[in-house]
Amino acid sequence: MIFSTLEHILTHISFSTVSVVITLHLITLLVNEIVGLYNSLEKGMLVTFFCITGLLVTRWVYWKHFPLSDLYESLIFLSWSFYLIHMIPSFLKKEKNSLNVITAPSAIFTQGFATSGLLTEMHQSGILVPALQSQWLMMHVSMMVLGYAALLGGSLLSVTLLIIIFQKDLIQVFDKRKHLLNESFFFGEIQYINEKSNIVQNASPSYVRNYYRSQLIEQLDHWSYRVISLGFIFLTIGILSGAVWANEAWGSYWNWDPKETWAFITWTIFAIYLHIRTNKNLRGANSAIVAFIGFLIIWICYFGVNLLGIGLHSYGSFTLTLN
Amino acid sequence: MKISSSILTKSINFHRPNTLKFHNFHHFNQPHIPNLRNEKKIMFFRVCCKIKVPQDNSKKPISQKIVISEGAPSLKEGEKEKESGRREVSPPPKKPTSAVNRLLKRTSQKVLGVLSNLPLAIGEMFAIAGLMAIGTLIDQGESPDFYAQRYPEDHPVFGFFTWKWVLTLGFDHMFSSPIFLGTLALLAASLMACTYTTQIPLVKVARRWNFLKSPEAVYKQEFSEKLPRASVQDLGVVLMGAGYEVFLKGPYLYAFKGLAGRFAPIGVHLAMILIMAGATLSATGSFRGSVNVPQGLNFVVGDVLNPSGFLSNPTEAFNTEVHVNRFSMEYFESGEVSQFRTDLSLYDLNGKEVLRKTISVNDPLRYGGITIYQTDWGLSALQILKDDEGPFNLAVARLKLNGDKKLYGSFLPVGNDGSQNVKGISMLARDLQSIVLYDLEGKFVGVRRPNSKLPIDIDGIKIEILDAIGSTGLELKTDPGVPVVYAGFGALMLTTCISYLSHAQIWALQDGTTVVIGGKTNRAKGEFPDEMNYLLDRVPELVDKTQNKPSESMSV
Repeated sequence: MIFSTLEHILTHISFSTVSVVITLHLITLLVNEIVGLYNSLEKGMLVTFFCITGLLVTRWVYWKHFPLSDLYESLIFLSWSFYLIHMIPSFLKKEKNSLNVITAPSAIFTQGFATSGLLTEMHQSGILVPALQSQWLMMHVSMMVLGYAALLGGSLLSVTLLIIIFQKDLIQVFDKRKHLLNESFFFGEIQYINEKSNIVQNASPSYVRNYYRSQLIEQLDHWSYRVISLGFIFLTIGILSGAVWANEAWGSYWNWDPKETWAFITWTIFAIYLHIRTNKNLRGANSAIVAFIGFLIIWICYFGVNLLGIGLHSYGSFTLTLN
Repeated sequence: MKISSSILTKSINFHRPNTLKFHNFHHFNQPHIPNLRNEKKIMFFRVCCKIKVPQDNSKKPISQKIVISEGAPSLKEGEKEKESGRREVSPPPKKPTSAVNRLLKRTSQKVLGVLSNLPLAIGEMFAIAGLMAIGTLIDQGESPDFYAQRYPEDHPVFGFFTWKWVLTLGFDHMFSSPIFLGTLALLAASLMACTYTTQIPLVKVARRWNFLKSPEAVYKQEFSEKLPRASVQDLGVVLMGAGYEVFLKGPYLYAFKGLAGRFAPIGVHLAMILIMAGATLSATGSFRGSVNVPQGLNFVVGDVLNPSGFLSNPTEAFNTEVHVNRFSMEYFESGEVSQFRTDLSLYDLNGKEVLRKTISVNDPLRYGGITIYQTDWGLSALQILKDDEGPFNLAVARLKLNGDKKLYGSFLPVGNDGSQNVKGISMLARDLQSIVLYDLEGKFVGVRRPNSKLPIDIDGIKIEILDAIGSTGLELKTDPGVPVVYAGFGALMLTTCISYLSHAQIWALQDGTTVVIGGKTNRAKGEFPDEMNYLLDRVPELVDKTQNKPSESMSV
């Protein structure tokens, strides 16, 4: 009982902190950049990070197995991974980088989804199917989810890049309005650019604006590349450790199980991304489009297969646990 | 310097594209002021090459350089040189060969060139991804009737896709269909071709290093900086402290880090090929089979295993007899299954026990190349006492249910032997824990646990359930491909990690009291300037001029 109360408290603290953080983020973006506020944002993220860590540890201690046995836990872990990706660069470097704008909203969305009513019945499951009782669970699932988090973050950066590149067309589509704000949090970046470019436009000729734009595009391109390659490493390790595990539990290292196959498809798509990156002529928009495809495919792999509840990976499926 | 002028110009010809690629000039070449700059560049190369030629000649034969400049367009760098006609510049191999040989060579080179083409490889990967996606969307391994019903001709999916498509293209067994395997084989060929024609030459280029001997050349790097009042030796020490490999020669410095990051992609490709080879071996050389054995019975391994390919060869171990000593299920407090365990004994031809092990899910038994997995369970018999007589073994059958849950049933006929409608006691069980009993009319009577010693009275018949005898579902296989695949897995994990390393190169030279520094890197282009600035901040500033002079004289 104490554990579940503690869990509740931690979930609520982290969720509300992160909501405040996001609101403040929006305020700073829309109104002005306030340095003091920015620091408090970082502190807020830190608090949330520790809350989620506490939540995971609590579950681990209470259920006596690594908290990654169902969809709810893996979603919480996914949002924890987003925090992790968010935290690491800010520890290494004090300066602001574009990654934050992606990771913070991603974290709140996954966490919000995990804690929302849709999955409430799944919180209490707590038993492990025989096939999951293995040391490989920790290695395989944590690597997969970390990989998903990094790949999602990286491909979102690429999506932002796409939006910036095709900004003009998009603006035309959206009724020639200058700001396509409020569309979603992911577009925070563009708002930022719009703000920036507006300021610059008022003060200086257009080529300076273009310079900023191209610099930002280059930065986004670079960071999405770095984050995706990191996620690719995690995904590779995750898939391979999963294959080794499958050889212990199911009798074959590869079964062409739907989830397995989709993980491999994801892997292939991001391998394509990395290969496109090696060619200078195809870089930029092309690689970003591939990353966007990858973004969609991760969701198919992560949710779609579980929603259908088919194949050997159906532990975390909705139907099974709701029964 | 005994080199004749003709050789010198030739070597310049060879060198030009290489050096161009190496220094990556085109990268920051402004397109709008081309002519003047280009001429200057050529002038510079002349100078540079003259210095380099004797040194290089002693180390590397010219033929090797031809290979480098002739090799297929590199993926990572120098795409622009492709248009500038690099291939025409390089002379063909001079070996006197017959026409047939030449033709063979040319075609093989053409095939290599086509295969190592990046867009083709990307297309192949997309094709594989697409086929795999289709493979998960279409139900696999069903009968033709199923597909005829699912994809009928009068309502084709997308207007054209019917069951005929599924069956002709082999999409009902996608992952063993010729189309899929063919695409995979093509990808493997591309992998090898790309490694051979592109990656290995690239590494050769990356490994060759030289000092840049003019400030202009250093400034042209992606990152460049000028440090007044500093010495190149101090810079070398700082770089070494940061993990760089540093080469100093007089006023010139060259340093690099993360060269492994250049090699690793080759390793990734080789690991992929290894995995594919292992998977092929698995597919052609393995045996598989599954068996349901009631507790207390035995089977011979060879009877269960079926060969999967033409390379499958039975071994001695196939004569082993397996005896199921005990099968048990463990439960959580909530009643759900926590683990299945089977106690197995292996006997050789002489009847000697060679191995005994209790297997469970995630903990298989391995003996002589054979692996035995715990995969399934069942209920084979109920042991009962009827009116204190017995024990009788009642056979149990699995009842058909939709869904994953299992239900087993048994029937004990009562009285009136030989009559048309036999009545009796029905027993149903979901697992080995509890048996539900129904009377002659089919009405619920009660639930009993096996071994509870608690008899139940049904219409005057006393029934006591002694035991529920389970059967274990075992899966057996031999797979000679596993060691190869595992080796590939290990190599792939390692090389993918190493591939994250960024190969950074730094050139510096002492220009009076100023140190000119330039550098570039292949992956971490965003972090590199920060790291450089951090390192350059640590280079001590020489305040006194008298201190500076001796260090310079030492270096020269």
